[in-house]
Amino acid sequence: MTQQALNPWPQTLVGAGVLLIGLALAAGALAIPGDAGYGGVGPNFLPWAVAVVLTLCGAWIVWEARTGGFRQMDEPSGDAAYWPAFIWVSAGLLANAALITAIGFILSCTLCYVLAVQGLRRAAGQAGANSPRAWATDVFTGAVISAPVYWMFTQFLGINLPGLTSTGWL
Amino acid sequence: METVNALVQGFASAITVGNLLWCFVGCALGTAVGVLPGIGPAVAVAMLLPITAKVDVTASMIFFAGIYYGAMYGGSTTSILLNTPGETATMVTAMEGNKMAKSGRAGAALATAAIGSFVAGTIATVIVTLFAPWVADFAVKLGPPEYFMLMVLAFTTVSAVLGKSTLRGMTALFLGLAIGCIGLDQISGQPRYTMGKAELMDGIEIVLVAVGLFAVAEVMYAALFEGRTVESQNRMSKVHMTGRDWKRSVPAWLRGTAIGTPFGCIPAGGTEIPTFLSYATEKKLAKPENLEEFGKTGAIEGVAGPEAANNATVTAALIPLLTLGIPTSNTTAILLGAFQNYGIQPGPQLFTTSAALVWALIASLYIGNLMLLVLNLPMVGLWVKLLKIPKPQLYAGILIFATVGAYGMRQSAFDLFLLYAIGVLGVLMRRFDFPTAPVVVGMILGPLAEAQMRNAVSIGEGSFAVFVQRPMSLTLIIIVLAVLILPRVMKRRAAKLAAG
Repeated sequence: MTQQALNPWPQTLVGAGVLLIGLALAAGALAIPGDAGYGGVGPNFLPWAVAVVLTLCGAWIVWEARTGGFRQMDEPSGDAAYWPAFIWVSAGLLANAALITAIGFILSCTLCYVLAVQGLRRAAGQAGANSPRAWATDVFTGAVISAPVYWMFTQFLGINLPGLTSTGWL
Repeated sequence: METVNALVQGFASAITVGNLLWCFVGCALGTAVGVLPGIGPAVAVAMLLPITAKVDVTASMIFFAGIYYGAMYGGSTTSILLNTPGETATMVTAMEGNKMAKSGRAGAALATAAIGSFVAGTIATVIVTLFAPWVADFAVKLGPPEYFMLMVLAFTTVSAVLGKSTLRGMTALFLGLAIGCIGLDQISGQPRYTMGKAELMDGIEIVLVAVGLFAVAEVMYAALFEGRTVESQNRMSKVHMTGRDWKRSVPAWLRGTAIGTPFGCIPAGGTEIPTFLSYATEKKLAKPENLEEFGKTGAIEGVAGPEAANNATVTAALIPLLTLGIPTSNTTAILLGAFQNYGIQPGPQLFTTSAALVWALIASLYIGNLMLLVLNLPMVGLWVKLLKIPKPQLYAGILIFATVGAYGMRQSAFDLFLLYAIGVLGVLMRRFDFPTAPVVVGMILGPLAEAQMRNAVSIGEGSFAVFVQRPMSLTLIIIVLAVLILPRVMKRRAAKLAAG
């Protein structure tokens, strides 16, 4: 628990987040009518129960964080956070979500792959990540994975995935 | 006799060319996802859930079951050969398996793991065959109060596993229950937490939560924290067991199976406890000359026992899933989701209403175990090559498959944004040591438990006393309390004994 001893704030924030989720769920539960019909339990019972328990859990987590840190905690694996890689991967996923219906599965997933793999290469400290050769390889690999996946799922398994054209091949 | 006839029928429908092919592809894919780090059977099944829209129910359940237990075979290969720091799922196998591999006996460790998995898987399948119809007959007699308490028991054991923080387990479980609340209430039809968004009316798809928490979060976590983590791989040796290895492995397999099977049968999750128990048993029973190998050069029974226990638990966990409709792990929760996609609710009626499906599935377990033995013994070298895929490419590739699963289910780009948000949640959970299985189990089982509870209370004419008035339900309450309280009391007593 060496990290915790240095800084109790991250764990406190996690607890506060849980607490806030609990309160938000309670606010949402207010909007659910409680008419129970024949039973004694209406549709708002479980939401209230969940809201109360999560609020209590949140408060308890904050308390643990402030009094020496989380109990029975496994040290998380890995090193200190490397944010640039997270931003690359996030950009890939969000671009994919934003563009998939416009440019189709193959192009959108290739883009997502390229951005993510660039981030992961940087995280691994690969010196040549930014070289034109690495970029070209990544674009090629992304397309070589995305295209067969698209064909397999749309042609053989009959799952609807968006295409740039309506041919079913791109 | 009835069971034998049903099983023969099951074999007849499982041994069609199409179904054999699905079984084979499932087993191969399962082994692959088991071997590959960063992706497990739960994610693999979740990503492929969209196929339930097109593929016949028997074929797809055989396929998913193949992935489910194929991953157990593949997982041991990785834990023996790869020195992955901080991997908990197959920790016990890794303890001795890794040591064996380091002292040049990787082949023997792989062999005992694969054959042990086969022995345990087959014995446990026989138990499923004999025992499941019997449990189903019994379960028909259970009413909503008993069902509800069984589900509470499953919730308790999934979120409060020994030695881990119950607080964080509970938090995860209730997050899952909250996600399960989103959408239209199934009894009254009231919308809950939909925030006026049409996309949320049908609730949140299990694919999104599973793929987000396990696959996307895994990729993000690797990018954020594990980029510089260097893994080393142990050298392969010939896959072969000496006479002495056999003599030491066989009893360990059988003991492991005997320990693992009961743990799978009861609606209490996790393979951690049976595998640890098996490991402890093997260490205790080891002859003095073999005991020295434990933790040093690697003792073969320390691999054989836990591997068998693991597979027996995983296979026997199909009993509560099929007969009670209660999943006790991530993957069984998602298998339940697959059944639901076909409008089938596993439970005691399953053995009468969908007898053909159930027996074909059970028959495919026998066939699949055999296929896996062949896939994993002579062909293990092929799977080991998968470990050569560089991490950046592997993880980025996983995102493409994640997209197929998340988008393919409902054809909605909104879901892809949600997937991202769930991925971020997963990273936080992993960093702060919150378990993720309770989220998935809570989300799937929550709505079912809620329905049982509301039915139970209406049976009790509006009173919660119904749960303590019925003997069976009262017994279950006591068991739940025991699961929560006993480990703490024992820990305190042990601490006291140690102190004074």
